[in-house]
Amino acid sequence: MRACDNPFSTDRVQGVRYRPVGATWKDLLSRLDALDFRAAIVGPKGTGKTTLLEDLAPRLRSLGFTPKPLRLDEEHRVFPDGFLPNFFADLGSRDIILLDGAEQLPRWHWWRFRRWSREGRGLIVTAHRPGLLPVLIECRTTPELLDGVLTELLGEVGPELRERGRRLFQQHRGNLREVLRSLYDDFARRPEGADIA
Amino acid sequence: MNQLRIGIREERRIFQPDDELVGAAGWELDTPPKSVEVRLLWFTRGKGTEDVGVVDTVTFENPQAAEARPFRFQLPATPYSFSGKLISLLWAVELIALPSKDSTRAEFALAPDGQEVRLDRA
Repeated sequence: MRACDNPFSTDRVQGVRYRPVGATWKDLLSRLDALDFRAAIVGPKGTGKTTLLEDLAPRLRSLGFTPKPLRLDEEHRVFPDGFLPNFFADLGSRDIILLDGAEQLPRWHWWRFRRWSREGRGLIVTAHRPGLLPVLIECRTTPELLDGVLTELLGEVGPELRERGRRLFQQHRGNLREVLRSLYDDFARRPEGADIA
Repeated sequence: MNQLRIGIREERRIFQPDDELVGAAGWELDTPPKSVEVRLLWFTRGKGTEDVGVVDTVTFENPQAAEARPFRFQLPATPYSFSGKLISLLWAVELIALPSKDSTRAEFALAPDGQEVRLDRA
């Protein structure tokens, strides 16, 4: 199958947005308010933390806040020299920092970041484990959530593919990102014109 | 509700390098946009990070909330459209309204032999 026809291509997977498990968006925003907009989204890899953080942004904007997204990952564990002083100098009283990958920051850097962030209205981070800020939500995945994602991507999911998805879900310990990457490889091996469901 | 449409003349989907591409864009927006553009671009689709290159842009002056405008681009010689199992490179003309960023695309192939290059058949 051609890459551009693969239903698990990156652009299609990124089009699947966060689905709260065991909570509603209203619940999340109420809890965020109760935590004074300083909270952590925690959970293992591939459970939707980054997607949730991204999907919070327009909802915060609609409440009159200005989201300020920042991102760290295993290849970029700290911010470039001189970046943060400028960033915080420009921070306004309606700005909410959305920091993806907060656990990458060395401890001392995190403490400084957290202290400086008080110049803004809020700080929401993602992390694999609790401990940085009060927990807004612990992201988790379920086989049923995977079924929903597959249906959104394919429109219809046959029993064979559903079973394959369940096996991959176990193999990757609930990491949906890895499940979808494996399914990409499965589909890449299929001949052109094969039934995608 | 905002609606955007973009079409390529005669619904052509294959172009040769250096061809001229002619089309029309139309939009019906709730309020007049600040700006409306058509972008000629290539992009990748597949497994992994996407890449994109904007080659040319047509900006429509004084756009109204609802109207249609023609556009034309001189296509470059490269990059060719291609597909393998891990990555495809596609071309598109994209209509985008600002500041709402509502957008829509029409995709096409740019290749010398009337069809995209197939990496798995090379």
